[in-house]
Amino acid sequence: MQKLVLTRRFSQIFFLSLFIYILWFTKNPAAFFKIDPLVSTFSLFSIMMLTLSLIIGRFFCGWICPLGAIIDVCSVRAKNRDLGFRQIKYYVLGAIVVFAFLGIQIKWIFDPLVITARFISLNFIPSFTLVLDKAFIFLITSLDFYTPLYDFYRLLKTSVLGVKMYYFPHSLITLSFFALVCSLALITKRFWCRIICPLGAMYSIVAKFSILERRVDKCVNCMKCKVSCRMSAIKEDMSYRKSECILCLDCIYDCPVKGVKFTWHVKPIKTRAKDSVSRKDFLFLIASSLLLLGFKGREKEAKKKLIRPPGVTGEREFLDKCVRCGNCMRLCPTNGLQPAIFESGLAGIWAPHLVPEIGYCEYNCNLCGNSCPTGAIPKLSLAQKKEQKLGLADINKDICIPWSQNKECIVCEEHCPISTKAIKTYDEIFDGRRIKKPYVDASLCIGCGICQNKCPTRPFRAIKVLP
Amino acid sequence: MKKESIFERLPKRKITRKGFVKLCGIGAGSLILNNSLFKFAFGKDETSTGRIVKKVKALHDLVVVKGEDPYLATVKAIEGIGGMEQFVKKNSVVLIKPNIGWDRSPEYAANTNPDVVGALVDMCFRSGAKRVNIFDNTCNESKRCYENSGLEKIAKEKGANVYFPDDWNIVKAKFNYKSPMEGWPIYRDALECDTFINAPILKHHGLSGLTIAMKNLMGVCSGNRGLMHSDIGTKLAHLTDFIKPDLNVIDAYRVLTRNGPTGGDLADVKDMKTIIAGVDPVLCDAYAAKLMGREPLSISSIDQGVRHNLGSADISRADILTITA
Repeated sequence: MQKLVLTRRFSQIFFLSLFIYILWFTKNPAAFFKIDPLVSTFSLFSIMMLTLSLIIGRFFCGWICPLGAIIDVCSVRAKNRDLGFRQIKYYVLGAIVVFAFLGIQIKWIFDPLVITARFISLNFIPSFTLVLDKAFIFLITSLDFYTPLYDFYRLLKTSVLGVKMYYFPHSLITLSFFALVCSLALITKRFWCRIICPLGAMYSIVAKFSILERRVDKCVNCMKCKVSCRMSAIKEDMSYRKSECILCLDCIYDCPVKGVKFTWHVKPIKTRAKDSVSRKDFLFLIASSLLLLGFKGREKEAKKKLIRPPGVTGEREFLDKCVRCGNCMRLCPTNGLQPAIFESGLAGIWAPHLVPEIGYCEYNCNLCGNSCPTGAIPKLSLAQKKEQKLGLADINKDICIPWSQNKECIVCEEHCPISTKAIKTYDEIFDGRRIKKPYVDASLCIGCGICQNKCPTRPFRAIKVLP
Repeated sequence: MKKESIFERLPKRKITRKGFVKLCGIGAGSLILNNSLFKFAFGKDETSTGRIVKKVKALHDLVVVKGEDPYLATVKAIEGIGGMEQFVKKNSVVLIKPNIGWDRSPEYAANTNPDVVGALVDMCFRSGAKRVNIFDNTCNESKRCYENSGLEKIAKEKGANVYFPDDWNIVKAKFNYKSPMEGWPIYRDALECDTFINAPILKHHGLSGLTIAMKNLMGVCSGNRGLMHSDIGTKLAHLTDFIKPDLNVIDAYRVLTRNGPTGGDLADVKDMKTIIAGVDPVLCDAYAAKLMGREPLSISSIDQGVRHNLGSADISRADILTITA
């Protein structure tokens, strides 16, 4: 019985399920990011995680990381070889830190929790619910309608399925990115964790000084542990790279003579790992980062091109804080928050913006701000949120039904959530009938986009919210 | 022999003209098959000519109850009209259609008072209803509307089925006369029920002046409902003729007098503490309009309702029972 390995697998499955559960069913998915020192560096939990790693080692990667668990599954049949290039992840981490000092945030590309959260929120949950929903619809329509099955389906709609099927038109790109990260594991086991992951690098640095250590008592030089080690952490002479070991504990059971043990080591041996970053490399990195001064011209405010979530003021500040985890898009009750592609430039990829034609900003809701792990969308009380201006509605009189066809409509006025109505009308007599023609009161409009969402004209809406 | 992986095999494969055509053929074929499979599974198109109802002869045309407690007032109103037993037979399925259109709490008077609906549910079950369904096609996000209106909680406690309507479970409307509502998708549950109880709230509306019983029926429609707004009077009259609600209970306990139908300012809400019950939706609307100080025939849906012979708007000739609870 490989008790320890089973425990590890159980822990991986548990944390992966917990991660999915938090994203799927709770209203505060930012909770899991509190243990991520890369996203919330100074939170109590991430400091605790780092301290724990200082004692035990890089256990996060092997036991908790949801991306690590998925990568492990992907690489079950993959070959295992030592490719080297381990230092790349330190460069990635270094680059993130250096960029952060300059106020540019690039961790959204590399953070494993963010990558997983984005995949689960934008791809996994929508496609899973869609398939389940269609299966139920097929069963219900092909069987008799009013059966207990239908009641069960309605019950599911309030919990698992959600009242609204979430849909993200550009989610194929997030899926491809996630698939790329996972398929790297086909080259060698845990490719991402060995070579690229900056969070892994962070834990590696700490784990170098950990007290728990792998000890080989007797050895028959069969090399079984070296060959199967998923991080290729074990060297020829049976010593190992402490910073690379993720405590998967496979080697304990690989050993034919049961000579491998993990024991507490009070006085750590001073070792100098060969393939970490050398002083020269580090100085080179710092020197080359001076090139970043070229970004200085970025200081002036970027032009706002998209409707950002409520409370966001500066476009640049927003993009530098947002890690693109997708929490806000997952929680937005109308599905209106969507990931951007290149609409706001390369720097704004996957950052949330409101697409009123898919969904509007619900007046009585402040979920996006409350779920943001980095504060890119500020936490606002409901009363504060209701005063946030997202944009300004504008009526196209060439399409608008009352303006162009002299028929009744004013659906926009009906739905406007402002109690005094940001859309006013004035009467015009046409053909003996009184037609109410809408116009926007710019001082009242908050740009929530419900008017654009409900406007009945197709294919173009007669009222549009401009950022 | 070692098995080659797909990454090693794929580049070795040669593409011939025949092979390419074959591949395209298979692709197109599977697409067509897929499409027809989808149509078979989900594309059932059904039409209906509306609910068939036997008009109940009530004791009075209209019962108006004024009272402090909305629950008690509703009970009194139904008793005054002749009891729920007339409308709800044993083991029947009842649909109560309140107005849950907006994400507002009850005191803003944008949604039907939950106590009114609670009283109706109780009375339906007491008359032997097998099942009481409650739903509305909301304007704001459904779940928030159901929760914040307070309606879901009370109705569920009393044993009703409160659920979200499914856009795939619809029937296309069919009319014997020329109608702008022809082919409009209507939720199946609204038609396949034994008793349809219409439970609107009386409030101001920007376009139609007031939204009452006939306008409340828009909540059983699916599709692009904004289009119903042009020529709304005729469309609502045809819809009312299509649904033929058995009983209308208008909640005028709290009334939104301005900036409807959303409201959002307590200064616009007026306490009228009135419940109106009646069989004829047009007469109910006419009385409610009068209560708000509007000329009934100036509301286009009431005007069209009279023209389509759905009921009368002549309050002076109606048999009205007024109760103070």
